[in-house]
Amino acid sequence: MSQEIESRIRAALRPVAPSEDFSQKLLARVIADQPARPKPRRLPSANARPLVWWLTASLAACLILAVGVQQHLEQQRLQQSGLEARRQVVEALRMTSQKLNLAYEAVKNQSTSLSDEKSGV
Amino acid sequence: MRKHTLSVIFALLAPALAWTAPNPKLAMPEFAGLAQKATESVTITLDPALLAMAGRFLDGNDPQDAATQEVLKGLRGIYVRSYTFDKDSAYQQADIDAVRAQLSAPGWNRLVETHSRKSRADVDIYIMIDNNQAIGLALIASEPRQFTIVNIIGAIDLDKLHKLEGQFGVPKLDMDLSKTPAPGPPKK
Repeated sequence: MSQEIESRIRAALRPVAPSEDFSQKLLARVIADQPARPKPRRLPSANARPLVWWLTASLAACLILAVGVQQHLEQQRLQQSGLEARRQVVEALRMTSQKLNLAYEAVKNQSTSLSDEKSGV
Repeated sequence: MRKHTLSVIFALLAPALAWTAPNPKLAMPEFAGLAQKATESVTITLDPALLAMAGRFLDGNDPQDAATQEVLKGLRGIYVRSYTFDKDSAYQQADIDAVRAQLSAPGWNRLVETHSRKSRADVDIYIMIDNNQAIGLALIASEPRQFTIVNIIGAIDLDKLHKLEGQFGVPKLDMDLSKTPAPGPPKK
């Protein structure tokens, strides 16, 4: 009797190969039972990101522009000073040369009159 | 320690040595009263920094600029005061005596003293020489309606300066520089 029961149990618990669509069914079941994943929520700051980017870019552009303008003005000022210095140098040397000319002319006239006197004697 | 002591001694002596070294820079008076009376006045003050700056704005390919660059080499300062009046004797000789007095200091030598009857112009040229090199030039030109004072500091080459004749619209004279009087003794 007991042997009969035992053999029945063995028969009932014998290893059985799964059906061909077992794995597909199992996967479908698993997917169906999975709870719906909540959509990733956007952080509130993410909305402000383009604004911050634009502000930073504008600030940087303003800064670059200001430095550029300042350098241009400085360059212009230096050029004006340089041209003015050049004008003054030319004017100073022109006047000096002119006055040296006066002296040379006087010396020349003196020399000429002296040689005239000598030749007259 | 000894090195340190020597440095301190040199530091203390430096101002005294600088004071005794010949200084070709003249103290130009303000001439404020004359500037008001003058119809035209020219005040040029070019220190070493301005001279260097002006040199950078000269074009070496231009003959006039090239000649100017040659003259500027070695110069440390150019100071000009010139006043033009609309009538004769608008200024007194006393006005320029303050400058003339400085030229009696040791180191200054009168190079040329000229008087032109034709133009009624007196031109005095003084030069300061140190170690056989001209380190300063002073020029005083008095005309009936104009007086000009020029003070040039640095290694002056009069030949180069003379070569500027004709470059600035000044007619070039056929001059022999060897005829100019030799530097005389310092003016007393």
